[in-house]
Amino acid sequence: MTAARVVHAQLHLLDRQVVRARDGRLVCKVDDLELALDDDGRPYVTAILMGPLALGPRVGGVLGRLMAGAARLLGATAPPRIPMEHVSRIAGAVHVGGDLEPPALEHWVRTHLVEPIPGARHENE
Amino acid sequence: MKKFLGITLGILTAIGGFVDIGDLVANALVGSRFGMSLAWVVLLGVLGICVFAEMSGRIAAVSRRAVFDLVRERLGPRAGLVNLGASFLILALTVAAEIGGAALALELATGVDYLVWVPAVAFAAWLVMWRVKFETLERVFGLAGLALVIFIVALWQLGPDWGQLWEQATRPAPPRDEGLPTYFYYAIALLGGAMTPYEVFFFSSGGVEEKWTRRDLSVARANVLVGFPLGGLLSLAIAACAATVFLPAHVQVDSLGQMVLPVALGAGQVGLALVILGVFAATFGATLEVALSSGYSLSQYFGWQWGKFVRPREAARFHATILVVVIVATALVLTTIDPIMVTEYSLVFAAAALPLTYLPVLLIANDRDYMQDKVNGRFSNTLGTAFMILLIVVSIAAIPLMLATKAGQ
Repeated sequence: MTAARVVHAQLHLLDRQVVRARDGRLVCKVDDLELALDDDGRPYVTAILMGPLALGPRVGGVLGRLMAGAARLLGATAPPRIPMEHVSRIAGAVHVGGDLEPPALEHWVRTHLVEPIPGARHENE
Repeated sequence: MKKFLGITLGILTAIGGFVDIGDLVANALVGSRFGMSLAWVVLLGVLGICVFAEMSGRIAAVSRRAVFDLVRERLGPRAGLVNLGASFLILALTVAAEIGGAALALELATGVDYLVWVPAVAFAAWLVMWRVKFETLERVFGLAGLALVIFIVALWQLGPDWGQLWEQATRPAPPRDEGLPTYFYYAIALLGGAMTPYEVFFFSSGGVEEKWTRRDLSVARANVLVGFPLGGLLSLAIAACAATVFLPAHVQVDSLGQMVLPVALGAGQVGLALVILGVFAATFGATLEVALSSGYSLSQYFGWQWGKFVRPREAARFHATILVVVIVATALVLTTIDPIMVTEYSLVFAAAALPLTYLPVLLIANDRDYMQDKVNGRFSNTLGTAFMILLIVVSIAAIPLMLATKAGQ
């Protein structure tokens, strides 16, 4: 058994790459974290938040507001979240299990722009 | 042979960095105005890019994270976004310049105006990025770019006064009719060319594309130690050719046609054919390197799936980014903007942004979370720190020097 490790939210979680544990596919960045308070009033991390609604406020300023505003304009209400119980490993990337929906922008670009181009479904040669 | 093909990533990366359209002309221009008196900058640049490319290759092999992942992680979302904005702008401008450069090479070969070639070159480049496997791409264009070795042959055939070239190289000061600020302006442009950030964007992402693991650390190192010194050697040979032919005649090189002239004089028609092939391969290869880097950097900042190791539909935002960048860049070249001038300026702007890219690489290369036992040794850290200090000085001086010298005139 290895000793328990102290994980620093700012240093080891925020802004890290999230990858799907099953096949190493890239999912998103840890754009922000959802916190809750335990009975003693200590905060703990409950979920990874992703997407412009999570990142915008952290970037701040005009750009950050633009980022979040654009997402709201396209109908987003809350940032997608990955509950912490799906996290299986924290190293150079955060590995998560479970089935994940492709993000809205990826889905839109895929169906409207990339898939109509011949060869989109083939391996490179 | 297989071992040799394993280092084509380093060769293509270095060709895109050292002998892309901006550098081809910058090297010849520097040779024609300053002789070999700026050779030390190229050597310094080779050392610097080797140090940081080795670190980024090692990080890619051990942790599968490429450079822009590290930028976001260590600079945070705000400063990371500033770097992304600056890098992305420079990348888009450079794609435009490289497309223009490849079209200029075709104009030299056929006599047909380069603007006619621009859409064809852009479409071919996009098609390669859309369909061709990463390994094939790096092998074909890395190896074809080696045709530029003809500059070394041509230099030999020209029979220069080696003693005089050596004397210029060992006396690092401007010639009598050039001022010190201009001298340092070109020094920064050369260093910026040698250490352009897109080299480490491309090199580290290429390592991930090739699925490097810890077992490939020696491959990564061989790529660095062969590719970049070779790039440096080519750029010195171009400068030496220009110093031999143009410096005594007081001719200033400012076009691709002039730049290949010493090869025609030294190595004849076959040489000329080879050099045009080499220039085309180098600029087309650089188009791929830079356009892919724009997709890599944007995707890695936002955490999107990227890369040619998955089907295009699995990395839709990555491929869409590349497509949009190529279209915008093509439109920009078609405005008849001078591609060579574009890279000249973007080199200096890139020099101003260098520390924002290389500091995160240096920090992560010391982070056991990413690197386990493969963290930097004392040698890498000493050199890396020394270069960080130099890059900070360069980044502060770059834009004031550009304004003061009216971009080296």
